[in-house]
Amino acid sequence: MIAILVDGIVQGLQLSLMAVGITLIYGLGGVLNLAHGQFAVVGGIATALFIEAGVNPLVACALGILSAGVFGLVVDRTLLLPAYRSAGEERLLLGLLITLGLSFVVNGYLDYKYANISLTLNLATPSFDVAGITIRTASAVAASIAIVAFVLLFAFLKGTLLGKVIRSLIQNEVGAGLCGINPGRIRTLIVTLSAMMAGLGGVAQGLFSSLGTEMGNELTSFALIVAVVGGVRSVNGTLVAGVLLGIINAFASYYVGAYLTLIILLGAAVFTILLRPAGLFAYRT
Amino acid sequence: MSTNRYLADYVTLLLVAAVLALVPLGLGGSAYYLRIATLMLIYMAYAIAFNIIFGHTRQLFLCVGALAGSSAYISVVLVMKMSWSPWASIPVGIVSAAVLGGVFSYVSVRRGLGVIFVGIVTLVFSMIFHNLILGLRKLTNGETGIETKGLGPGVLEPGLGSYYVILGVLMACLVLYHLLMRSRAGTAFRAIADDEFAAELTGIDVTMYKVLAASVGSALIGAVGAIYAYYGGFINPTVYALVSVDIVVLVMLLLGGMGTLLGPVLGGVLFTVLDEIVRPLGRLNVLVYGVLMIILVITFRQGLVAVLRKVTKVRIP
Repeated sequence: MIAILVDGIVQGLQLSLMAVGITLIYGLGGVLNLAHGQFAVVGGIATALFIEAGVNPLVACALGILSAGVFGLVVDRTLLLPAYRSAGEERLLLGLLITLGLSFVVNGYLDYKYANISLTLNLATPSFDVAGITIRTASAVAASIAIVAFVLLFAFLKGTLLGKVIRSLIQNEVGAGLCGINPGRIRTLIVTLSAMMAGLGGVAQGLFSSLGTEMGNELTSFALIVAVVGGVRSVNGTLVAGVLLGIINAFASYYVGAYLTLIILLGAAVFTILLRPAGLFAYRT
Repeated sequence: MSTNRYLADYVTLLLVAAVLALVPLGLGGSAYYLRIATLMLIYMAYAIAFNIIFGHTRQLFLCVGALAGSSAYISVVLVMKMSWSPWASIPVGIVSAAVLGGVFSYVSVRRGLGVIFVGIVTLVFSMIFHNLILGLRKLTNGETGIETKGLGPGVLEPGLGSYYVILGVLMACLVLYHLLMRSRAGTAFRAIADDEFAAELTGIDVTMYKVLAASVGSALIGAVGAIYAYYGGFINPTVYALVSVDIVVLVMLLLGGMGTLLGPVLGGVLFTVLDEIVRPLGRLNVLVYGVLMIILVITFRQGLVAVLRKVTKVRIP
């Protein structure tokens, strides 16, 4: 029981790590990033390539995450520019279609070029015991990475001036612009940061089991479900939703099987959109 | 003016029918190319239906494949497990697709969902559909799929006859589209596409017309999906996957031109030719689709029909 719970929480944290990127990019840039899972895969595969080239695994992970960030930066500065230039519905639609196209480009390229490469990180001690429960070291490491990342993110958003700027942009882009904030540069920063967090999620996936080139769409869907349930503009909501859905996922997979679980999760996303479009934990306004 | 108001439409319909009817003659009897040409017609019909839903009323249905697949699977499973006649089961499939599409549309209009949330809801429906088909292994054979048969001699069996049967279906879709657009509904669709809020203010029942567009489009998608199931000789989840249907249809429509009569047809021809060119690249074709989609979305959103209109100065419908 507790083992399943722990597993669910760890998985949920990892999902949130990806979903929070979708939330931030949507909240700030007005672009629903359907290529977010691909960012994670780019990070993971880059790590695998660095390890294969003989780089120290820890350095390789850092380089992989950095590659995901660079990829995000390039995408933001090139492909997404036309979307940023338009406003309202038009921007949403454009961003959605461009990132959907991007996800196919990344899938197609990685599948073609690196079909046989996958990222699997093995730790020295596979598991350890805490109070009678066996915990996989990988889970513990992945969970701590996610927690540290979230603490840093919250500290950044709540504690620094830049974080305040970001939150003001999420609340009201026009208002923030009137206060002299340049939304373009902040957007680039956020997309890069989100891509790096996605890359981190990809590396964590490699720690758990393994990350292959074909997993982009799966990761995107899970992250999207979490972001939607948590409210696509709320970072806190995303974190809670991720952990919640992770726990549901773990228990449901154990009791009713994988395929029904996915349908339960997807159903949860649909009902959230229909009943509380701003997310489960949004304040009523 | 009022007598030849639709002249351009009639001429286009006749030309499309004539040109597509002559296509098999140019293929030199190759069964492979005949199949490709027939599939092209099927995808064009999907694109026409999607055009009604997305091109005219801005409802981003990312579930064309799932709607087609649900109709096809309902029809095929009824035939296989309950030994219905396909002629009776295809209408059941069509009606269920229409109802599904109508419900999505009604719920999204009522909840005031923006284009992006309609996209997410329908995308999630696509994933649910895919998983259901994989999970209900007893009925659907999961990934392995079900083998199907044609509907009697010449009807939807591989061969030249089927090409013309499906061409008939495609022309029926185009004529239906034409009739829909010249009716009151067509005027309402154009108003909604321009500015939904203004349309509502001028007294157009936006909810009704959006649901109408979604149901008619979904019914067409369901019909084509079921026809594909019997023609193709085999169905499995991949046949109706997002990558195999939705992306292709979206690219075709963007290529040809949204909200036009000729757009889906032109886009279909172009895409099929392009697809044949990149076929030797194997798995890299997904990359080509993606690049094409990005380029189209960014630089070529008006589509080919708009460009042709500008160049030839002819009112192309």
